Amino acid sequence: MSAAIPANQVKHRGRRFVWYLPAILITAVFAFPLYWIGSMAFKPARIVQNYPPSFRFSPTLDNFRQVFDSTYPDAMRNSLIIAVGTAVFSVFCATLTAYGLSRHNFRRKDNLLFWILSLRMLPAVAVIVPYSRMVRWFDLQDTYAAMILVYSIFNISFSVWLLKGFFDEIPKEMEEAARIDGYGPWKVFTDVAVPLVIPGIATALVFSIIFSINEFLLAFVLTQREAVTAPVALTNVFITTFGVNWGGLSAAAMVLVAPVIVFAVLVRNHLLRGMSFGQLD
Amino acid sequence: MATLVLDQLDLTYPDGTRAVKSVDLTVEEGEFCVFLGPSGCGKTSTLRMIAGLEHPTGGEIRIDGRVINKLYPGEREIAMVFQHYALYPNKTVRDHFEMPLKALRMPKEERNRRIAETAELLHMTELLNAKPRQLSGGQAQRTAIGRALIRRPKLFLLDEPLTSLDAKLRLETRTALKRLQEDLQITTVYVTHDQEEALSLADKIMVMHDGEIQQIATSYELYANPVNLFVAGFIGTPPMNTVPADFVSERRDGIVRAEAFDLHLTEQAAHAVQAAAGDGRLVAGVRPEDLIVTEPGGERELGGRVTVIEQQGDEWIASIDVAPGTIWKVRTPRLDTDELQTGQRVGLRIRPGRLRLFDAISGAAVY
Repeated sequence: MSAAIPANQVKHRGRRFVWYLPAILITAVFAFPLYWIGSMAFKPARIVQNYPPSFRFSPTLDNFRQVFDSTYPDAMRNSLIIAVGTAVFSVFCATLTAYGLSRHNFRRKDNLLFWILSLRMLPAVAVIVPYSRMVRWFDLQDTYAAMILVYSIFNISFSVWLLKGFFDEIPKEMEEAARIDGYGPWKVFTDVAVPLVIPGIATALVFSIIFSINEFLLAFVLTQREAVTAPVALTNVFITTFGVNWGGLSAAAMVLVAPVIVFAVLVRNHLLRGMSFGQLD
Repeated sequence: MATLVLDQLDLTYPDGTRAVKSVDLTVEEGEFCVFLGPSGCGKTSTLRMIAGLEHPTGGEIRIDGRVINKLYPGEREIAMVFQHYALYPNKTVRDHFEMPLKALRMPKEERNRRIAETAELLHMTELLNAKPRQLSGGQAQRTAIGRALIRRPKLFLLDEPLTSLDAKLRLETRTALKRLQEDLQITTVYVTHDQEEALSLADKIMVMHDGEIQQIATSYELYANPVNLFVAGFIGTPPMNTVPADFVSERRDGIVRAEAFDLHLTEQAAHAVQAAAGDGRLVAGVRPEDLIVTEPGGERELGGRVTVIEQQGDEWIASIDVAPGTIWKVRTPRLDTDELQTGQRVGLRIRPGRLRLFDAISGAAVY
């Protein structure tokens, strides 16, 4: 198969390209900042602020060396612990809650669901003062636990909504068949329902991790030394009274997005189905 | 193997809808019982109560004399095949077979032995490691049946199991299912809205309508002696021809007088009508296959003009306007009426003893 491609196929390819073109353009617009940060991370310090920017340069790892010599790796570790802790805790709670809400009808269920969602609508600034007071009451200032709890408030609400959609998609018959086989309610949940919503759980985990890794304001207020997260450290370490260390900042940002990308790639098969909101085979 | 008894079984939903009304039924050991009726008639609700998926609001369900109303579905030693099979996309055929055995905490070796045995029975040995996505419709169906039968249930429940198969496969599976049931001698309850399925599979059919039992009988009984107009109209394709008619007593016997024709009754039939003590307003019914096409008759004799002829292989179904606005269907072998044509005037004769009479008000069979 080589030279002779049927005419209609050529035409078909041509038409496909027409559809791809806008997609490529839009992707390019969104991907450009990432490219920009990436290229800055490898630029030698003296050309970082060149205008017009230099596109051709000999890459250096100096910026990354700076990043790893600073306190940034500690903050990175804190961020990962908090992000994973939040993801596991909030998705676990959300799975149980979503299943209950999906399977049972009770009075004012819609109100409850809306209230859960409304937690997500709160802007962080609005709740930052009460949260910081509450954290102090419980004597949890500057701890992982405090950050995980506060982040979970935002993530549980979102994950409940996401996962409820997935549980709603499971045909009733699938659970009834298991009950007739002799499975109790808990076994039906763990052995039938949960395996069927794995794509949803993967999606919820990824969203939760992205949220926690990126969050700045709450972390900025609620942490001082021990639990400082990466976005906060980014400003502490690279934005100083002497000016902004753009190279270091870019390299640190690259280090920050790396774990998210790795994790997203690991679960990408589930993620694709998760994004399409649970169409089962 | 077991005997199933439904005693005054009742189901009222919280919104007040009474889905099942005082159903009494006995299914004998090894019997194949079919619940037949139009959608929404309560047949599936009744099945779901037997399975324990729905809680009766009145009455008792007994298996071998033991009341099982309060038992969980898994404790009832029953098995069920669902309309869309309820297979799990993430599990293999083997996993499906194993589920009920695991729930029974059966040891591993015994489980494997049973799985091999069931796979053999259903010709699925090669497919044990396949997932539902890789199965054809028929194979998916056999997986659901295997999963149900592997625990050797006392009672085998099927909820419209053939609806998602194509026509040819449906026939094959129907035959296979009947043979399997006869081989295993397992008490079976089967729900369907398809009368052909019901008539061909069942030892006993329960016809339901609006949550109520209409008739419990064998296939032939339902067909030949429907107890009311609903059953008469539901069973048979095309269904029974009917026409409103009044009873007129005449010397020894009697006639029923419809708008456009009179039908003479036998002495027996006339007695039955008189004994029924109604107001004489009846509905006369004749099955399409009990009508014979003849030469056109005289005034007030049964007959009419042929409006449509449908060819069905070696049979014809002719529509004949026996009265203004009343079309009767006649089913006749092709050989007998080679000359039949649309527009032609014909007479009709009813096979002896095949005229059925129903009370016009209650719909109950009078004769």
